[in-house]
Amino acid sequence: MDRRTFVASLGVGATVGLAGCVIGDNGDESGEDINVGMVYSSGGLGDESFNDMAHNGVEQAEADFGISYQNAEPDSPADMNDYQREFAGSDEYDLVCCIGFDHVTDLVQNAQEFSDQQFVLVDAVAETEDGDLVENVDNYVFREHEGSFQVGHLAGLLTTMEFDHGGASTASEDPHIGFVGGEETAIIDRFEAGYIAGAEYADEDIEVSTAYAGSWDDPGTGQEIATTMYDNGADIVFHAAGATGGGVFEAAQSAERYAIGVDDDQSISAEGFSDVIVASMVKRVNTAVYESIESVVDDDFEGGSVEDLGLEEDGVEAVVGQDFEGELPEEITDALVESREGIIDGDIDVPEET
Amino acid sequence: MSDADVLPRFVRDHRRALTLVVLLLAALTIVVTVVPGGRQTVTDVSGVITASYLASAFRLTVPIAFAAIGGIFSEKAGVINIGLEGLLIIGAFTAIVTLHFLPETTAIWVIWSAFGIAVIASAFVALLFAIVCIEFKADQVIAGLAVWLIALGLAPFASIIVWENVNSPSFVTFSTVSIPILSDLPSIGRLFVATPPVFMLIVAVPLAWYVLNRTTFGKWIEASGEDPKTLDTAGVSVRKVRYAGVVLSGVFCGIGGAGLALNVGQFVGSGETMVDGRGWIGLTAYLIGNYNPVGAFLASFLFAGLDALQIQLQQIAGYDVSSTLIGIIPYVAVVVVLAFIGRTRMPSSAGEHYESDE
Repeated sequence: MDRRTFVASLGVGATVGLAGCVIGDNGDESGEDINVGMVYSSGGLGDESFNDMAHNGVEQAEADFGISYQNAEPDSPADMNDYQREFAGSDEYDLVCCIGFDHVTDLVQNAQEFSDQQFVLVDAVAETEDGDLVENVDNYVFREHEGSFQVGHLAGLLTTMEFDHGGASTASEDPHIGFVGGEETAIIDRFEAGYIAGAEYADEDIEVSTAYAGSWDDPGTGQEIATTMYDNGADIVFHAAGATGGGVFEAAQSAERYAIGVDDDQSISAEGFSDVIVASMVKRVNTAVYESIESVVDDDFEGGSVEDLGLEEDGVEAVVGQDFEGELPEEITDALVESREGIIDGDIDVPEET
Repeated sequence: MSDADVLPRFVRDHRRALTLVVLLLAALTIVVTVVPGGRQTVTDVSGVITASYLASAFRLTVPIAFAAIGGIFSEKAGVINIGLEGLLIIGAFTAIVTLHFLPETTAIWVIWSAFGIAVIASAFVALLFAIVCIEFKADQVIAGLAVWLIALGLAPFASIIVWENVNSPSFVTFSTVSIPILSDLPSIGRLFVATPPVFMLIVAVPLAWYVLNRTTFGKWIEASGEDPKTLDTAGVSVRKVRYAGVVLSGVFCGIGGAGLALNVGQFVGSGETMVDGRGWIGLTAYLIGNYNPVGAFLASFLFAGLDALQIQLQQIAGYDVSSTLIGIIPYVAVVVVLAFIGRTRMPSSAGEHYESDE
């Protein structure tokens, strides 16, 4: 009896567990024969940022080129290897897009094993042990620190002045801003480093509090961190924490202070908070995915190369929130244009590490 | 006459807690006097312990402590419920999905209906778990694991059906309630401004203690877990008492899960879901608290307090406390308490089926 119950319970658990992550077929408009396999990062679709942006890119490519694609959402980094091999081994896919730096270790191995398969890696660079680029992988990386510098500059300027618009306000005394990260990874460190540098560019004396939630999907902790920051006098908090950031916005609304979104324009994707999201550090993962598919469609896929996207390539950008367009003082918008040009021209050196 | 008899009764009864306090004080003294920079660290740490910090710790305690109290009722009655994490997920998800189907207003009945339905849903899942364990004599640990796995898969799956997305958009949240007069006090006034689940926890802890220790129902619960045969002989149905214990654990977890979700106004189903292991920490909290609601609350508060402290310390330049490291403290603590202090004693019939002779 006990053993049977065991098997039955596990069976039910596993079935329901798997139900959340089945591969979804998204149809075929058969204009072209190009078939793309998408393997997302473990946050999965519906994060309203990174993975959804990648999905937007492939949807756009579907609309423009009539390609077909198939999504796979790994539950954990451990599943990524299986999905990569499944797509590569089936011989049905012209391109396999691996979204997220978690893919890199498995991809280096799999790409060499399936050397005829074209791969795209977003957010990391696939290198062999000798430091050579893997020949059949096209890599897209972003200079997040440049975009983060811009939002840091904006936050720094806002906290040193009196500003009152939307659901919040800032006071000019005690300039203080905050940063909430998800997990402590090299990429998020670039966000933090750029943000702090941007704030200091605005004013050397600005206090920047930083903290990591230790999770991408814990808005409860995100809310507590942001609440303590606002309680301690922070006027603006920037998050690079995936779904944890929802808690940051909630805290901003109850404290009547500002927040800065990440990855896409969160004043649109998280519309309920548009009155406090003064800007977002947009990272155009969709462009990376779209361009890589376009290169396959045009038959000029270039493996073994790195596309490094920053402010100049429009890979990252500080986008003002929809409620704040045209509402920011001119001195701020001018200063942002000036610092953007400074970064592109190389006059401003943005650090990559804190 | 052994040494133990000579000690005053209070010391004897609370020897474990007192040992712990003495050890902590000793550790603190060593840190302050011996470790270089220790004094500065202690000053910094005590600097962040403000009313705002305590309020944050209380909010973080809510889901953990409610799960712990729920676990006590179930396990004391003789059914080990390791599905607390799953019940919290059910509570959190149901609260938000109810808000989705109710009119979008800030009217107070909307949020309380969501809260109530979440508690009912969690209690219902606990009831199913009780039926599987009591009627079908399933292994309680495995059935409890199934509750967690099912909730972990089902809640994100249902989210996709409702919102085409594992994460929900945002909805209304509990607004804060302030206690008149007390909330106007200088500096500590902030402690008396909180969301309703925090106040419910403050009421629930002594209430749970009273029910378990001073009422007939509490005695039945205890007997059902310790010596069901005697309870049966006394003419009380062990089955009914165990059902009551398990369903109560569902009610408490429902309050904890709904409290968590309605504070943020959103359900996040990606990864480990927004509950993120709080149910498991609740489980360790009541083991450390030795099945006493007050002890379980204190353990929960300790873990939540450390988490809140870690959040604050990260913001002071120069401290690099890893949130991952803080995250394992509850589990290390439970191993230390169970292995070395060793006074936690499971109810003797917990985990066993009881077959009435009638």
